[in-house]
Amino acid sequence: MIRTATPTINNRPLRCADFPTLAQALDYAAQGVTGYNFYDGRGRLQAALPYAELRQRARATAKRLHGLGLKGGERVALIAETCPEFMEFFYACQYGGFVPVPLPITINLGSRGSYIERLRRLLHSCSATAAMAPAEFLSFLQEAAAGLKLRLVGSPADFYALEEPAVELEPSGPDEIAYLQYTSGSTRFPRGVVITQQAVMANLAGIVGSGLAVRSGDRCVSWLPFYHDMGLVGFVLGPLASQLSVDYLGTRDFAMRPRQWLALLSNNRGTIAFAPPFGYDICARRVHRAEINRYDLSSWRVAGVGAETIHAETLARFADFMAPAGFDRHAFLPCYGLAESSLAVTFAALDQGMSVDHVDRRALESRMTASATAATSGHGERVRAFVNCGRPLPGHEVIVRDADYRALPYRHVGIVSVRGPSLMSGYFQDAASTRDALGPDGWLDTGDLGYLTEAGLFITGRCKDLIIVNGRNIWPQDMERLAEEQPEVRVGDVTAFVAPHPKGGEVVVMLVQCRLTENERRADLVNRLQRMTYSEFGIKCRIELVPPKTLPRTSSGKLSRSEARRRFIQRVGWNQPNEITAEAPKAAVSS
Amino acid sequence: MAEYRQILDRLYTHLRPMAPQGMTLEEDTDLISEFGLDSVNVMDLLLEVEEDFDISVPLNLLADIRTPKDLACAITRLLEAG
Repeated sequence: MIRTATPTINNRPLRCADFPTLAQALDYAAQGVTGYNFYDGRGRLQAALPYAELRQRARATAKRLHGLGLKGGERVALIAETCPEFMEFFYACQYGGFVPVPLPITINLGSRGSYIERLRRLLHSCSATAAMAPAEFLSFLQEAAAGLKLRLVGSPADFYALEEPAVELEPSGPDEIAYLQYTSGSTRFPRGVVITQQAVMANLAGIVGSGLAVRSGDRCVSWLPFYHDMGLVGFVLGPLASQLSVDYLGTRDFAMRPRQWLALLSNNRGTIAFAPPFGYDICARRVHRAEINRYDLSSWRVAGVGAETIHAETLARFADFMAPAGFDRHAFLPCYGLAESSLAVTFAALDQGMSVDHVDRRALESRMTASATAATSGHGERVRAFVNCGRPLPGHEVIVRDADYRALPYRHVGIVSVRGPSLMSGYFQDAASTRDALGPDGWLDTGDLGYLTEAGLFITGRCKDLIIVNGRNIWPQDMERLAEEQPEVRVGDVTAFVAPHPKGGEVVVMLVQCRLTENERRADLVNRLQRMTYSEFGIKCRIELVPPKTLPRTSSGKLSRSEARRRFIQRVGWNQPNEITAEAPKAAVSS
Repeated sequence: MAEYRQILDRLYTHLRPMAPQGMTLEEDTDLISEFGLDSVNVMDLLLEVEEDFDISVPLNLLADIRTPKDLACAITRLLEAG
């Protein structure tokens, strides 16, 4: 079926997410002519899905799910491929009063086993009663669901073959669950963020109304995965709730051919697109300078940045590189958020570009204070630069607290805490984790470190131990568990962390206490761990075997990642950027 | 229709520049643990394969590919499917 993309200009007045539920947002969007468009890796339009058609298809599928015997509130797990069927099933759940659960696609070379294991943990965690995968991913889902009691695990075609009974649909109400989001937990110990209709609508109203100030003529372009909060809330739900057209590129297609993102923005006169910093970075690295002239990025008014700690140099390099294509660096819009707050918490001011705060490194590291300093005095060694992520959305509050939950004054680094109508109700069927994150006073402890100034929020480190590589969040405890499962390794003998390499970039390090003495067996263990961390997490890491009882522990006897990291950096000499001589010690090393 | 052997040889021409020093490439070399491809190399490799053979390698196939042989077989099947 050849089609044209949905238009940018709608024939209905723009409403900024002022709806009680997602289903009502789609009811209104379906009166217009805008919608979702899907492109392949070579930039060809594969499918157009106007909101009007989406509503029809979603309602029909909702009835089929009813026919299957699903009850209101039951979970429907969806492999979140960038395709029209995901949209149809996600909104079918909205109309049918079911709870959609987007599942990730994390496939690397040789990773069948670990991917299936991950899906299985997720299906189990949300106790899904039905699950859908596009045909090409169905075998993974079926294997993952084997032995679990689901009513149907199928491709879209399997669901289309079901009866469509003439039931009266009961969409979920404002205080019912809109979806579960599984980005925040680790893969080994998944945590489903529970977001109600009113929470997500409050967040969407803030995002499109205030953060982006959406207006007629806006058009979104996105390659962000639908199983990530920025992709789902920011670029599936947000555009629909403000009746904007979106052009999608698959996530892997972007990773292989980043120029397609720029081409879509250029060809379709896109105005809003977001990416984590690494998205801008790979564009600057992999797009050829000679082809820049082919693009016209002058329509791109909001180039959002979030999801990772933002380094100003990365964005500056992208802006310099793309300037000949008409990219305006004032379009950069740093923001901060997390799935536990639906998506967004703070936005910088529009049309200002990024603003950077330079602070004294020593004061930051020794006293946790962010003392403003001149940008020029010995960059890198004595000065650290942080990007302003802006102010909270209307109706939301942000404070920075110390370990005893006392609010800290401006320019003191502490734990970022958030309060407001966008927050999750908790983690799905996990009261203990919910209590740890959500206080009785309504404050969410984000686990991220940062400081406030009169100008806004500055994030200095995300979630203390979380390892972030190329936009992927990796929990050190997941890597540690993987190693502990090897017969040669005991539980509690592994620590994983990320360390800055003096030549730039970061290296993921895993230290394993091990009693093996034979070189061959040591090498075998290191190779196996390398292969497994790659297939499970898609990263290469530096693995070192260290003698027993050499890893530092806390007073309570747990391994201390931060202390192990500090000692490691010192041992290999990475703390002295100008005099690197040391290569790793007498341990089996691979990197 | 290209033969498996020719496809494998063409695949080697893409892989060799990515080889660590002193590494010899065999049909059964594990691309990750032995050959040492990281996720960025994998993207580069797939891009080259897609351009060279004029195919599109679906993401789901990667889950079962560990060696040059696996990849060459997958390319052969994709070419046959046209």
